[in-house]
Amino acid sequence: MSDPRIIFVTGSSRGIGLALTNHFLQRGDKVYGCSRGAPALNHPAYRHSELNVSDENAVVAMVRSAVRREGKIDALLNNAGIASMNHALLTPLSSASAIFSTNFFGTFLFCREVAKSMVQQKSGRILNFSTVATPLRLEGESIYAASKAAVESFTEVLARELASTGVTVNAIGPTPVPTDLIKHVPAEKMRALLARQAIPRFGTSADVINVAEFFLSPQSDFVTGQILYLGGVNR
Amino acid sequence: MLPPTAAINPPIFGPAAALDSLGLVNLLADLEYRLGERFGRDVVLASEQAMSRSRSPFRDLDSLTEYTMELLG
Repeated sequence: MSDPRIIFVTGSSRGIGLALTNHFLQRGDKVYGCSRGAPALNHPAYRHSELNVSDENAVVAMVRSAVRREGKIDALLNNAGIASMNHALLTPLSSASAIFSTNFFGTFLFCREVAKSMVQQKSGRILNFSTVATPLRLEGESIYAASKAAVESFTEVLARELASTGVTVNAIGPTPVPTDLIKHVPAEKMRALLARQAIPRFGTSADVINVAEFFLSPQSDFVTGQILYLGGVNR
Repeated sequence: MLPPTAAINPPIFGPAAALDSLGLVNLLADLEYRLGERFGRDVVLASEQAMSRSRSPFRDLDSLTEYTMELLG
């Protein structure tokens, strides 16, 4: 039997992050998760760090201690994200800053630290999280969409910077999945959004897990710098 | 043949150095890891402090050693 994969999942306490974590644990992988609060599960192959993903010292400490313990990191899924639906002209700077801190700077920090280990291993898979709100240019989601546009651009450039190292960097753009992230979005807004997808339904955690496993697969070593949107959405 | 001073203090990064940018990434990542192992400290070598200096601490072995000692100090 091969060694278990060592997988990092940020935002692992709720929603898609929790579903991904449970999926990997069921497969026999080891998962290092983090969130701002306490862990949502107790499993011998799961280690939790309570941290803010934009706290540089905390991220560095989490990643380095995992590398010291495991000797490698096979995959990073930068799932942690926050959203705030508001008209751009009514958005306080503090909200915009908080969204960029979690969605972009958190993604950047985990990519930077985990990739240092992956470059030395000459292998690894990084999967960042975007959203269909970016290509659909959703009104009311300007800051959220902009923060994810930054994630997309970073993903594409980092993929090229690491291309010769055996590390792939891709992103998934899920459609709305019924989780805490969208619970405050009005129902009519959600219906209008779904209507703009080629397949007009909510996504599920299983849809995201399917794409994640595709990007994490050893056979996907020729796939990098890609942004894959669910639901038939295009840029 | 290299002059004796160059052999003692080889350039790490720049036109005269053997390392490209990925080579530097590998060297710094490895050094950060070993510092953590040896001294139990999680340092980030490519910090704002390092990048804002007019003379890069990554230019040669002596400057990198000096900068690392400073961080651990």
